[in-house]
Parts: sequence; C-alpha cells; structure tokens
Amino acid sequence: MTRLEATRSMTAWFGDRAVVASLGHPAYDLFAAGDRPANFYTWGSMGLASSIGLGLAMAQPAKRVVVLDGDGSLLMNLGSLATIGWVRPKNLVVIVWDNGVYGTTGGQDTATVHGTNLAGAATAMGISNVTTAETIDGLARVLDRVDAEPGPWVVVAKVTENMPAVKPPLDCVYIKQRFMAAIGSPEAATIGGPA
Amino acid sequence: MLALAPMSSPEWAAGVCAGLHAAGSRHVVYVPDNPLSHVLRELRQNYPDVETTIATREEEAFGIAAGLYLGGKRPTVMLQSSGLGNSLNALTSLFVPYQIPALILISMRGDANEWNAAQVPMGRAVAPILDAIEIPNVSAASAESVADTVALVGKTAFSTRRAGACLLPRRITVPAPQVIA
Repeated sequence: MTRLEATRSMTAWFGDRAVVASLGHPAYDLFAAGDRPANFYTWGSMGLASSIGLGLAMAQPAKRVVVLDGDGSLLMNLGSLATIGWVRPKNLVVIVWDNGVYGTTGGQDTATVHGTNLAGAATAMGISNVTTAETIDGLARVLDRVDAEPGPWVVVAKVTENMPAVKPPLDCVYIKQRFMAAIGSPEAATIGGPA
Repeated sequence: MLALAPMSSPEWAAGVCAGLHAAGSRHVVYVPDNPLSHVLRELRQNYPDVETTIATREEEAFGIAAGLYLGGKRPTVMLQSSGLGNSLNALTSLFVPYQIPALILISMRGDANEWNAAQVPMGRAVAPILDAIEIPNVSAASAESVADTVALVGKTAFSTRRAGACLLPRRITVPAPQVIA
C-alpha cells in the first residue's frame, strides 16, 4: 500500500479525532486524502509530531488524538517514545508511515531498511500496545483494535513512497486557529482576550 | 514513618512558581538542571494544581508544550541555557510561524558565577540567539523581582500568542560561586 492509499483508507475512521501530521509527505497526503479543520499540518519541526500529539492528548484526555509520523521523523525524536511510554495517555495513537526512505528529501534510505525495528523500539520504551500493518485490510483490523483497547498505541504501517501532488495551506496561523476551534480548545476563543 | 518537614525554597524559586502560576500556567514541561530542582520541589510542595512532565530533550519539551497549547493549556517550558541550542528548530519552525505561545524559563549557565568553561560559549549566546529569532526575552534582575518578571513574561506571551523567555541568571540561582581547585 502506498502512504496515500493508507491515509485515504483512514478518513472515515478519523471522525472527530484530532490528527497531527508530520511535515512533508505525511502532511501532504493527509491534505490530499481530505482536508478537515481538525487536521494539524506541521510545516517544520521535524520529529516533533508525536510530541505535539502527546501534549495534545494530555491537555484533552477526552479527545482522541492521532499522529501521522514518518519513520525518518520518528528516528529524529526517539526519546518521544520514552516519554509516551512514561505518561501513557490512553487517547493517543501514533501511526508511523514506515517506507524506509526520507521521502520528502529525495528518497535516501532510513535505518529501518538496515535493521532498525521501530515497533521493537516502541515496545522497548514501555509502550504496551504496539503493532504493525502491511496492507489496507490489516490496517483496518488494527484500527478496530485501537478502538477496542486504550492507548497509547504505536502502529508501524509498512507503506511505499508516493509523490504527493498537492500541499496544505502555507498559512500556519490559519491551520492552528482552525484546528483549535475544531477541537474545542478554550484558547481559540480568546483572540484579543484577557491575559 | 518519619515525617519530614518541607524544605523551604530559595526566594527566586518561590518567585518562579508564583509567577508562572499567576500567568495561568498549570503545565510545566522541562529538562532538569540543578537550580531548577528548587523550582520543581516548590511546585511539588505548594502547587498541587501544576502538572510537570519531564522530556528527554529540550526540543521534545517544546513539542509537548505546543500540543498542550493546541489543547487549550498555557504551557511553561523550563530548561538550562545549554539546551536552547537543542530547541531552535522547534522554536523557529513551530512556535514562531504558528504563533504558539509558551512561557520559557531558562536557567543560565555560562554567565557570572560559572565555573565550567564549556558552558560559557552558549551562555554568552543565549540572549543574542533569542533576539535573532525574535523571541522576547528578559533577564530576572533580582530574587525579589522574579515573581513579577515571570508573571509579566507569561501574561504577555499568552495574551499575544508569542513565546517569551525569562532568563534566570546564576548570580540569582547560584549566589555563592563554586570554585574548583
């Protein structure tokens, strides 16, 4: 399955979930699969999507939070798995698109095609619900389990690279304000409000 | 069981806690250092409504803080100045362009009273770096004024959606210089 096919297969499941996408191709494919206000597209801060998702899950324990990360991005911030394994937010799901390449920067190999096992790393960091998916049907079955068992979840989805054709809006403040309003964050309503 | 009397916190550390609390922050994400341990103890003893989360690296702390803000909270990030270098991509490509605020508390190394020469280059660079990436920053002037300064930096940050930093110099946090023979 390509990353775009896998992302498209999840759009109904996203529902009212907050979705945080790592910069570059994961964010582009999320936009291509269907733009929605509760998507938070990062344009920088490589590696931090799972950390942003963790903070969001901590702030809103009743909101289901999904992170769409990349293998290269997660490798840049492996410590995030340790913190997630410590904090253990029940409402956090980290999907790692593992295509074995730095797709956004020209297709250089990542360590996952040379022996690194990100699912094993997540387990070793204390995250109890870790699994992999290699097909669209397999991913759908995993999402059923995610719905049935509390998180945190790390799902390493083996995908192939595809070249995105569209990009989300470049207006970062628009992305943020729209996202916060969509998920009901109190600060979204305080433009010009009290300190 | 032995009941231990709570340790009293130095005035500057009590001021940091009072200031961040007055700014409405109830979440502190941090990478620890020695002076900040006073702040953490004061939070544990006197601020049960403040949640603390330790990160493995400063950049990660900023990522968690950004998520807390997106979820409607007012995050504080505490770090040693040596960790500012680890934080720059988060600040310049997430906090600044998305206008995500945070109260940033920086325990200084490499300024007056520093004994470790390896800490000096970054210590000298902290304020120029923050200026260069357009993050407002002030240095606490005295232990007595820390509370007001931290509160003002935090309130300004959260009311303008712009991260702001308060530097905590060693002449306040480590008033007696350590000397190695």
